[in-house]
Amino acid sequence: MSRSKIVGAIEIGTAKVVVLVAEMTDGRSMNIIGRGQSTNMGMKKGEITDLSAVSDCAHAAILAAERSAGSEIDHVYLSLSGGHLWGFRNSGATAITGSENVVTARDVQRAVENAKSKVLEPGEVYIHHIRNGFILDGKPVENPLSRQGSHLEVQYWHVIADEQKVKDHIMVINGFGLDVNDIVISSLASGSLLATEEEKRQGVLVVDIGKGGTDFVLYRGRRVVQTGVIPVGGDHVTNDLSLGLRVKSKFAEGLKVRSAMAMVEKEDRNKKVPLLGDLSIGDSFHSQLSINKITHARLEELFIILKNRLGSLLTRKNLPCGVILTGGVSKTPLISDLAEVTLDVPVALGESPEWVRHKELREPEYATVLGLLYNALHDQQEEDRGEGKREGRRWLRKMAGLFN
Amino acid sequence: MTMEQTGFFSEQDPLVNDQLPDGGLRIKIIGIGGAGTNAVDRIKLEDLEQVHLTVIDTDSQVLSSSPVEESFLLGRTVTRGKSAGGSADKGRQAAESDIEALREIVRGVDLVFLLSGLGGGTGSGAAPVLAELAASEGALVIAFTPLPFQREGTARCDRARKALEVLQKRCHAVIALPNDLIFRQVDESATLMEAFAMADKWIKLGVHSIWSMLFNTGLINVDFSTLQCALAEPGGRTLFGTGYGKGDDFLDQALQDLENCPLLQLPESGFVKDTDQLILNLTGGPDLTMGMVNKAMDALGSKFNCRNSMIMGASIDGSFYNQLRITIMGTIRHPSLTKGFAPVPAASIPPNQPLARPLKPAEAFPQAETEPLPASRTQEEFPFPSQEENRGLFEKTLRNLYEGMDLDIPTYLRRGLKISRG
Repeated sequence: MSRSKIVGAIEIGTAKVVVLVAEMTDGRSMNIIGRGQSTNMGMKKGEITDLSAVSDCAHAAILAAERSAGSEIDHVYLSLSGGHLWGFRNSGATAITGSENVVTARDVQRAVENAKSKVLEPGEVYIHHIRNGFILDGKPVENPLSRQGSHLEVQYWHVIADEQKVKDHIMVINGFGLDVNDIVISSLASGSLLATEEEKRQGVLVVDIGKGGTDFVLYRGRRVVQTGVIPVGGDHVTNDLSLGLRVKSKFAEGLKVRSAMAMVEKEDRNKKVPLLGDLSIGDSFHSQLSINKITHARLEELFIILKNRLGSLLTRKNLPCGVILTGGVSKTPLISDLAEVTLDVPVALGESPEWVRHKELREPEYATVLGLLYNALHDQQEEDRGEGKREGRRWLRKMAGLFN
Repeated sequence: MTMEQTGFFSEQDPLVNDQLPDGGLRIKIIGIGGAGTNAVDRIKLEDLEQVHLTVIDTDSQVLSSSPVEESFLLGRTVTRGKSAGGSADKGRQAAESDIEALREIVRGVDLVFLLSGLGGGTGSGAAPVLAELAASEGALVIAFTPLPFQREGTARCDRARKALEVLQKRCHAVIALPNDLIFRQVDESATLMEAFAMADKWIKLGVHSIWSMLFNTGLINVDFSTLQCALAEPGGRTLFGTGYGKGDDFLDQALQDLENCPLLQLPESGFVKDTDQLILNLTGGPDLTMGMVNKAMDALGSKFNCRNSMIMGASIDGSFYNQLRITIMGTIRHPSLTKGFAPVPAASIPPNQPLARPLKPAEAFPQAETEPLPASRTQEEFPFPSQEENRGLFEKTLRNLYEGMDLDIPTYLRRGLKISRG
């Protein structure tokens, strides 16, 4: 008897709200059956500035998605981004006390609790606790249970968000009469989709440059080593162009999409590009050089900030698979060349895996929602295998308590 | 109104000579204009040895309410005891009409602290005149000038800007204290009194730290002549900042506090980096060790990327147990001309370290010595904060601070790139 579940993946992004609806059968296969999106008018830099506008846009997108799917969503997976997200690494350690120094489940639990014990400031919540592996007597081990040792350490990467902002996002979904099953930060969602297992093992950085901000996640040894958000995105390029060329920002946006390139080239010097490009009378022309200079400065700075944030994690040696770029801004011509020069690691544009066949869905804007669905499927499989609940789940129950 | 100017100088002059034996330093703190007078009034509450206070204004009302003994009503013939009414020309005329009297005030003084709020009439007009006089009488002139809020209107800001430019040419050091920057530290609920006390606090800190540099016993002494040499030529842009730490890790705290000092954050280019001359002074308790002094000096030297010379001072204040105050003064004379944005060395943050929270300046500072001077940063004097208009789309959103820069301001502006339009 097949059980099917209708799952909705929702990304409330600064550019638009994207909703994908998928049908999951037996927790094994997934069919994407609906899509809805709407331009988001209520966000800046990845954070909600106008809650009711965001609600309206999100509800319109959910409605459109349900309509195109022909069925109602019953499980919602929501992605989260924004400058309020931050993370830190914390490890917990314990001495092995049992007889003959064999690690027991209790020892493991003690270490884990120890690692998670850091009390956050009021108004902050944990979004993810991502385990980075155990170290037994200084040696990394996959599973310490039943092994001998005297000192067990467990490392975690914790992701923390502003409680109020998370509540706002959940409230938007609740406003449609839906509960949120799980929240995944955007970087993890798009990262899990775009990086292959092999890349995750060797070391890879997935950078999602959206309209409002840039999310990144660094994998090594098949684990998430670090995540982060840089509150600079496509809107900043638009704004720079609008101020630099003295044009309205809606025109600057069009100019950016049509003409902006991430690197300055020789032939730009004498090239002029039209502001509107629709052959209308009175269209003004702007120097390609100026456009590219402004775009280059902004994006280069973004990569420099990224480099600073990751320090020595971002070197050829530590990151053999280099960087995968995604998000709307990754469509800027020559951006991978710029990233390669600035970051000094190989750079590639993100490609969705084979199973995403729909041509439009392979566009970088959909990486996050597809990643959410991918995560949801994995979740489901884990649940079915009875591997217990993921950490996020427990947290969400806690949050859910806040609303009931 | 009861001011008796006639007997005034004959009384004061001998006093100065009596109190100060030969070789003693003669220091005067002169407040000019309304804001300057207020600042001096507050400083009077602190006991500083060997320092004389003077207030000068065109408004007799302000002077009569001031507790400072030595006061001088400026420009009786020009304004008749009323204020200059926001006209810098009037302020200047008033000062010029009383030029001989002013000369008397600064005669024989070694160090003049000139406190004057710019933007009004008396401060903007008369302060430059007095500064020039004092300098020509051989005094070292250090001016502390609060600048008006941007909200006070462009006319006032323009006046302040002009006056500041003139002062910078005539004083040995001008420490500008833009109200906008200072009041960023004050939260909304603070009373007006508290807010203005904050501004005066900076002046007081400045005066006090220079004073303590000169008078407190030094582990490493900075004396007046050193200061004089360092500030020898007028005309530089001056930076000034201070940080304070207390408790077990007071050294780290003080360094951190210094980093956060609003006066050292240039909104356009972030934390001040290129300096020509740097005077550093540490004031600590008797428990200050040489090791700590060395550590602090090392950290600061690389942080400010000092090109020429760095003068270090460390003095001991008996009451400063377990506390430390770091004061820096520096001049910026030759803005760096290199272009481009120097990338920061890759390993500035070691892996496996908790990262700084977003939007706060990262703890790692670019190691300046390993690379060409970071660019773009045409070091401006503390500019009148006018970025709101450069944020376009992001107006009215929270600032997006990263290492002291507002990332919402276009990169090309912060880097000083020339963009041709059309």
